[in-house]
Amino acid sequence: MTWSQKTDERAQAIIARYPDPRSATMPLLYLAMHEDGHLTEDGMREVAARVGLTPAQVQSVASFYTMYKRDRTGRYLVSVCTSISCMLLGADDVLAAVSEETGVADGDTDEDGLFSVEHAECIGACGGAPAVQVNYELVEGVTPEQGKALCAWLREARPEVVLGDEMQELFGGQRSFEWGPSETAGAVGPFPAFEPYGTAKEGR
Amino acid sequence: MTDRILTTRMDAHPADSNVLARYEATGGYAALRTALASKTPEEIAAEVKASNIRGRGGANFPAGVKWGFLPPETRPRYLVVNGDESEPGTFKDRQLLERDPHQLVEGIALSAYALDVRQAFVYIRGEYPRPARRLQRAIDEAYEAGYLGTGILGSGFDLDITVHLGGGAYICGEETALLNSLEGRRGEPRIKPPFPAVEGLYAKPTIVNNVETLSNVPFMINQGGAAYDAIGPEGARGTRLFSLSGHVRNPGNKEIVMGMTWRDLIYGLGGGIPEDRAIKAWIPGGASAPWLLPEHLDEPVTIDDVGRLKTMLGSGAVVVMDETTCVVKAAHRIVRFFAHESCGQCTPCREGGSWLERMLARIESGDGRMMDLDLLLDVSDNISPGLTWPPKMTTICPLGPSATAPVTSIMWHFRNEVEAHITGGGCPL
Amino acid sequence: MSDEATPGMVKITIDGREMQVPAGDLLIAAAEKAGTYIPRFCWHSRMKPVGLCRMCLVEVEGPRGTMLTTSCTMQVNDGMVVHTESDVVKKAQEGVLEFLLINHPLDCPVCDKGGECPLQDQTVSFGPGESRFVEEKRHFEKPIPISDLVLLDRERCILCARCTRFSEEISGDPLIEFVERGSGTQVLTFPDEPFASYFSGNTVQICPVGALTATAYRFRARPWDLQAAESTCPHCSVGCRISVQSSQNQVLRFQGVDVDSTNQGWLCDKGRFGFEYLNSPDRLSTPKMAGDDGLQEASWIDALDAAASGLMSIIDEHGPGAVAGIGGARGTNEEAYAFGKFLRSVVGTGHLDAQIGDGLEPRLLAAPADRGLIGDLEKASSILVWGPDLKEELPVLYLRVRRAATELGAKLVVAHPRRTGLDDVATHTLRYRPGAGQDLLRRLAAGEGDAGAALAALKEGPTVVITGLAGLTEGPDLAEAVAAFGRDLPDATVLPVARRSNVFGALDMGVSPALLPGRASAVDDGARATLSGHWGADVPDGSGRDTAGIIEGLEAGAIRAVVLLGADPAVDFPDPARASAALAGAELIVAIDMFESVSTSMATVVFPALGFTETEGTVTNLEGRVQKVSRLLPGPGGARPSWEILEDVATRMGGSIGATSAGVIATEIEKVAPAYAGATWDALNTAFGRDGIVVPTADATQPIEYVPVDRPSAPVQRDLVLHLARVLYDGGTTVQRGLSLAKLAAEPAVYITPQDAHRLGVADGSAVRLSGGNGSAELTARFDDSLTPGAVYLPFNLGISVGSGLEVELEALA
Ligand SMILES: Cc1cc2nc3c(=O)[nH]c(=O)nc-3n(C[C@H](O)[C@H](O)[C@H](O)COP(=O)(O)O)c2cc1C
Ligand code: SF4
Ligand code: FES
Repeated sequence: MTWSQKTDERAQAIIARYPDPRSATMPLLYLAMHEDGHLTEDGMREVAARVGLTPAQVQSVASFYTMYKRDRTGRYLVSVCTSISCMLLGADDVLAAVSEETGVADGDTDEDGLFSVEHAECIGACGGAPAVQVNYELVEGVTPEQGKALCAWLREARPEVVLGDEMQELFGGQRSFEWGPSETAGAVGPFPAFEPYGTAKEGR
Repeated sequence: MTDRILTTRMDAHPADSNVLARYEATGGYAALRTALASKTPEEIAAEVKASNIRGRGGANFPAGVKWGFLPPETRPRYLVVNGDESEPGTFKDRQLLERDPHQLVEGIALSAYALDVRQAFVYIRGEYPRPARRLQRAIDEAYEAGYLGTGILGSGFDLDITVHLGGGAYICGEETALLNSLEGRRGEPRIKPPFPAVEGLYAKPTIVNNVETLSNVPFMINQGGAAYDAIGPEGARGTRLFSLSGHVRNPGNKEIVMGMTWRDLIYGLGGGIPEDRAIKAWIPGGASAPWLLPEHLDEPVTIDDVGRLKTMLGSGAVVVMDETTCVVKAAHRIVRFFAHESCGQCTPCREGGSWLERMLARIESGDGRMMDLDLLLDVSDNISPGLTWPPKMTTICPLGPSATAPVTSIMWHFRNEVEAHITGGGCPL
Repeated sequence: MSDEATPGMVKITIDGREMQVPAGDLLIAAAEKAGTYIPRFCWHSRMKPVGLCRMCLVEVEGPRGTMLTTSCTMQVNDGMVVHTESDVVKKAQEGVLEFLLINHPLDCPVCDKGGECPLQDQTVSFGPGESRFVEEKRHFEKPIPISDLVLLDRERCILCARCTRFSEEISGDPLIEFVERGSGTQVLTFPDEPFASYFSGNTVQICPVGALTATAYRFRARPWDLQAAESTCPHCSVGCRISVQSSQNQVLRFQGVDVDSTNQGWLCDKGRFGFEYLNSPDRLSTPKMAGDDGLQEASWIDALDAAASGLMSIIDEHGPGAVAGIGGARGTNEEAYAFGKFLRSVVGTGHLDAQIGDGLEPRLLAAPADRGLIGDLEKASSILVWGPDLKEELPVLYLRVRRAATELGAKLVVAHPRRTGLDDVATHTLRYRPGAGQDLLRRLAAGEGDAGAALAALKEGPTVVITGLAGLTEGPDLAEAVAAFGRDLPDATVLPVARRSNVFGALDMGVSPALLPGRASAVDDGARATLSGHWGADVPDGSGRDTAGIIEGLEAGAIRAVVLLGADPAVDFPDPARASAALAGAELIVAIDMFESVSTSMATVVFPALGFTETEGTVTNLEGRVQKVSRLLPGPGGARPSWEILEDVATRMGGSIGATSAGVIATEIEKVAPAYAGATWDALNTAFGRDGIVVPTADATQPIEYVPVDRPSAPVQRDLVLHLARVLYDGGTTVQRGLSLAKLAAEPAVYITPQDAHRLGVADGSAVRLSGGNGSAELTARFDDSLTPGAVYLPFNLGISVGSGLEVELEALA
């Protein structure tokens, strides 16, 4: 397997930004996820070859971080924060509700590859607790009912681009702070939507 | 006297505080212009030193002093901005990145100029794509407008800024783990010394500063370091963003001048506890901090006063717990966090953290043994000998000892409640 | 103690005892030298400190009270006051130990490491009695093979990172790494990418628990049953120090011994696991004689009589010059000396060689001017490696060069026809087409073009120049010219290398037409006269034949009888087919060996010899360092020491070599070869002699004239030339007779650049015919873009040969 020309160009541009190619390992791991939907062995091999490491070294780096999903991952990765501030405001119930609605247990992915559900450690939205991320796009102030509705909507609407503002509008509540102007870029898979890594798209 | 520095623009202009035009229209990049046109790098560094600002990443180290540790000769040097913000309870850097990214970009440019740095990196936690996008857009605009790149504003000063996303690991907030991560390695903290200022990124001299710390720099150049130093009590100069969360009516980031009381912060700015329930305890400075109790409500919020109470302001995250909170569950949740985020290098943190977590889980679910009470403290003691403040450690970095803060907090202040879990086979609340 | 510290030393106080320790030492090392052992797991003296197990915590007094710190990361400084036994330290260490044990399976009774396990030992001396940990332990699949040689048990692992650091920092093949994090951290390889490292066994040795075990040793013995003796590895000329360990008359393992001069504790896997051949059921245990159906078992008396009478009748009929000897490079100096003395003084021939046509000018190896030491690499500012791929042929020397380049900052220039193991860490790599090395050398010496930067680097002394045969299709001229180039550098020492374990010793012992024992020149009448005085026999003049000459002599009928001592020219001569045919035409072959081989199968008489671990003596490594080898085992029933066999043949021929014991021979060597006067067994058996004794080069009686740097390369007619070089795991005896290593030898293939392949219509992995100077072979073609275009590479020792001519042809097969 090799990467698409576009991904390849991005990889080269990223490597060029660092004094040492090894520094591009983490960005390239996101590119690899973008290519395959999750981080595959081939993806790690590809990254290794580009940054001058062995696949074992790349695996060592990738497995250190929680966001490089090395198992099959759903199109929508629903992360429910259950750290202290969110827990105090009922996050455990939100997680239960999300699991119930999707039929996916914490840490699992459904058969169709639509949903993965996980509990997350603090995602920096404590002022808007309980908080949920879908493909790392944030929704704050989510009640268990809203959590369910959010998942039902994802299943129905199947948005190609996951937009935080849209979800906040529809399913959110209390925010950590005013978010400012709305964002039109969002996530296209279970990895952060950040343009230089080629993972964001303009949405509706 | 100014009482807000960082959040005025975003509050005044909610619709576009993040875009260049608004930033320029509200005085943005004036400091950079002045600096490049008429100030030497040494003069800029002197203003920052004079401000007496202490780092906002958690360690509270004076920024000017840290800058002074750079060996004078070695080049290249790097500036790395710590935007990993992952300490439970903390969300202030997120707001600064999303709402006023140019303020940070200008702060970086000024600092880079002062430090003779040509390449800066902003390490943003991977779960913050939106803040990263906002910052990246600001950087793109700044390049376009000639505030970044080569020959900035017609001067001989060049600077590139690269935004680097983390991969989901709290420990990468620790500066040497962050550098390893930025080098494409596992985020494992390094043994110090050498400190990053001497041997940092790619073994070159490197200054690591927090997003909030550097966002203050434009003010210091516009108004002078002395003006910054004039704000707030000694040892806690300037304003500071506190992230307020948990059981409060008005959670959110509060930019305050330090010195007010906890009561002012929690009951004043925070609006008190919903349904007027009683406060049970609060965490004054992020999950790593030992808890404070109702009897401390009238203590002043300063770095030193909080230190006197054997805890810390840390990253400025205040988590309020009311009377309905099960302290075992709360402590377990925090210890679970540290066990999950341990890099795993040091034996005491790796093994001790998860041992504490599992013991607390057992106690919470009613399967505790009386001997677990002392065992919790003894295992904690083996991670942080003497259970003193500031903590001693058998570990490389302070994450290991952080896991003991909630344990001592509940064991010293709520032992009866913990015991009741054991005797009653579950939570007594 | 005076108040002033000795220069280079600092004064520290440990547990109330004041002492002087070397400045710059780590506290843990300084304390140990001073008699205070601080427990540790992750720290290893030959690797960078990482301070992660936290076992070595001590208290150090500072301005703000005492500080708990890891002694493995703390450098001593003057006036430091340290407590290693305070209550705080004890509690911290006990705490760490308890943490390490909570998830440990405690399966010591079935663990290979039981009895020599620091975790077990420290649990006994420091550890808590009873477990306070009632949670479920971590579980992993019990031992998983991570390579053909090594098994990993992650439940036993204490995550000290010694193995991962070794493979990244020392051997440069980071194939095992930490994965996951926190309490889920484990050591692992990448799926389908085994820990295929030439150095993997070191990780088993340095693992402080039984997490890494060797398939070759697993469950074979308990450490307390082992007998051990220190010796010198018999696999190559680096001469690594080893501890040979046996039980019930079987060698069970080799462990590296940490001596500063050579291996610093490390071994290559061939050295470590290559002992298995010693226990092979194929060992010769009785003499054999040629009969109608090949070799037949014979009595010692019959065999000795046959050998002696066969040699005598050839000498009678054709003169002593019709007899030649090949071998001696695999045994001890004492055996080589006996061999040379037997041939020169009893047979009376000057045709003898320890090299098998695959080496350098003997005087360049035995007595080069400005000879360097391996230890010079530690101080070198620059290093030139122009010779074999050290990783394949002299693996531990590769480790030493790699360390110099990666840790010690030396600039490394590597010249070779294709990628070598060192290229990754080289500052400059120079490639050349086999046969055209002289052109590159001329450019390098003149600093032309891209060679300019390399020359500039090499002018920064001190420089070590390692030279040897890069490939077997090239003559020795190039290496000589490189040595000459090295001598012209401002501040350089030269280290000529050859692979076979005791080739340097055998040459020093005079197993070469050009050299007499002690590196005296055989063309020097005075030296011959002196030797003849010692021996009481005439010493033939220096016009004898080397191995290539002997093969030629056999072909021409000038040589009729050959004595082989642990040599298999039918396989090891660079053109094996030619050597085989030549030997087949010999009237008489007398072979002394541990195994039957292609060459012994053509022999008239074969004597079973004792080998490594079964004979005592000395060997000489590539620096000229003499080291001791020890006897630990009796060897197979009927086998005898080579010198004794030679003496018995000599007696039957009416002569004697005076070999009544290896010790007696050693004493004679000290007398006859003055350079060896200081390298006595007694001296080597002292603690000081553990590092060996470097024999001075001063008495090289005739300095060699180096081939000049500017000799033109030979013109080449054809499009393709051949690079023929050895790989570590080969088809040879020691590898193939050991279960562990045999399966690691690669499938033979011919390597070609994609450009040449394209031109010839050859696809990667397709079948081709390679035709050379002496034969052709069908092979699989493999792409190798590291080769110089116009060159193909054939591993020499994997059983395929097309001769050793430079020019070859290659055609695609349908
Ligand atoms: C476990 C741990 C986590 C940390 N996390 C952060 C963080 O998320 N953000 C941050 O700025 N500093 C964090 N720090 C502090 C940094 O190590 C460092 O002191 C800081 O980035 C320096 O910037 P400052 O001087 O401007 O505060 C952390 C420290 C530790 C020990
Ligand atoms: S204390 Fe924990 S997080 Fe810090 S270096 Fe040690 S194992 Fe890693
Ligand atoms: S030996 Fe010092 S920390 Fe492991």
